[in-house]
Amino acid sequence: MKGEKLMVEQAVELRNVCKKRRHKTIGPLNVSLPQGYITALVGQNGSGKSTLLHLLMQLSFPGEGEVRWFGEAYVDGLPLKLRQQMAYVPEVSQSEENFWTAAEAAEFRRHWYPSWDQGYFEELIGKFEVPHNARLGKMSKGERRKFEIAAALAAKPRLLLLDEPSSGLDPFAWKIMIETLQRYMDEHEATIIISTHIVEEVRRLADYIVLMHQGQLLGMTEKDSLFGSWSEIWVQIEGEQELQELAAELPQALELKLETPGVASLLTQQIYLYEKRIQDLGVKVLKNRSLELDEILSLWTRGHRPVLIDQKRGE
Amino acid sequence: MWIPIQINENSAEPLYHQIETQLRSLIISGTITEGTLLPSIRELAGDLKCSVITVRRVYQDLENEGLLRTRQGTGTFVSHVGDGTMEGYKQDVIRKALESAVDVGLSVHCSEEELTVMFTEIVKNKYGKRE
Repeated sequence: MKGEKLMVEQAVELRNVCKKRRHKTIGPLNVSLPQGYITALVGQNGSGKSTLLHLLMQLSFPGEGEVRWFGEAYVDGLPLKLRQQMAYVPEVSQSEENFWTAAEAAEFRRHWYPSWDQGYFEELIGKFEVPHNARLGKMSKGERRKFEIAAALAAKPRLLLLDEPSSGLDPFAWKIMIETLQRYMDEHEATIIISTHIVEEVRRLADYIVLMHQGQLLGMTEKDSLFGSWSEIWVQIEGEQELQELAAELPQALELKLETPGVASLLTQQIYLYEKRIQDLGVKVLKNRSLELDEILSLWTRGHRPVLIDQKRGE
Repeated sequence: MWIPIQINENSAEPLYHQIETQLRSLIISGTITEGTLLPSIRELAGDLKCSVITVRRVYQDLENEGLLRTRQGTGTFVSHVGDGTMEGYKQDVIRKALESAVDVGLSVHCSEEELTVMFTEIVKNKYGKRE
């Protein structure tokens, strides 16, 4: 297992990448995204997720630093051979294809992608129920999105970049998208980088999470190492004074507050350490629950970085 | 194939350990029979909402224990589980359950005599009913 970990190769790598925009600066970004996994880019609007994807498509170039694809920095432009192994679903669809139907656009794309799989494209278009005769520009947002996802996958990419792919999808199409991406990963040696706001998408798809905030990269982690990292505990407490005493004993606890007379709640990491500590103080623990992924990420965004489970085990 | 593994989000037990323990029980208890093709790593990860890293680790551990085997290109199968393993496992589960019951007894200051009486009573009660 350990030996295998060392063998994991990077699909893309950012080294000290900075990008100055009129109103904000993104970076310096340092991150390596491993081959063969799904990495979710999460963060609030304007945190820099789309810019990161643009840099990976060379739709935008870093002001400073370096981007590498499969170990190489292509400063003079991505070679055609590599581009043919990459597919991208942008946040807003390109208008160039607006006057084409799905089939016509597929015809065009097929020229550019030698490994284009027409049968697979038609299968996906059928599954997603993308209208046959409508022009792409006339489709609803969701229908257009489904075409874009199908067309990106039909190119059989080795590296797939998805910028909020599910926006506009109904729950049925969403489920098909999730299953299709899982199956694609199962059958191909591919890497997916997906920017998303949907927690359920992260839960079902992601292996790694990259958290961005205000143009900075707050961190990257194996998704499961966040599991159980934060808990909310409810304790029996007499009143304000006892609460203050407890707060003094637990400096690392957050949001310590009286819920109802006699019951206080608090947030803590590593509950198995602190639950005992609290009990030793003579305070009765009434209940606890693990925080959900979105709550953990939101705490992290506010500066409360989780103690990652794997690090704790020293692995 | 769907595998009845249930993750307890509120448990302090690490995710991979929860999955591993449950999958091991399912195999050793014979609920998942010898020769069964397990879901792919990506599929099971999707079902359990964990990462492929975790599932791969579980499959590898159980393969090392001889409970699973992987055939290149086809997938991961349940191996033959020896009767000895089965018996050892049974004893293990019972022992653990009894130990935690005794721990409860200790925590409420139940005496050894009281506990033994209670235990005998419960055994008689349950086994008597089955006949």
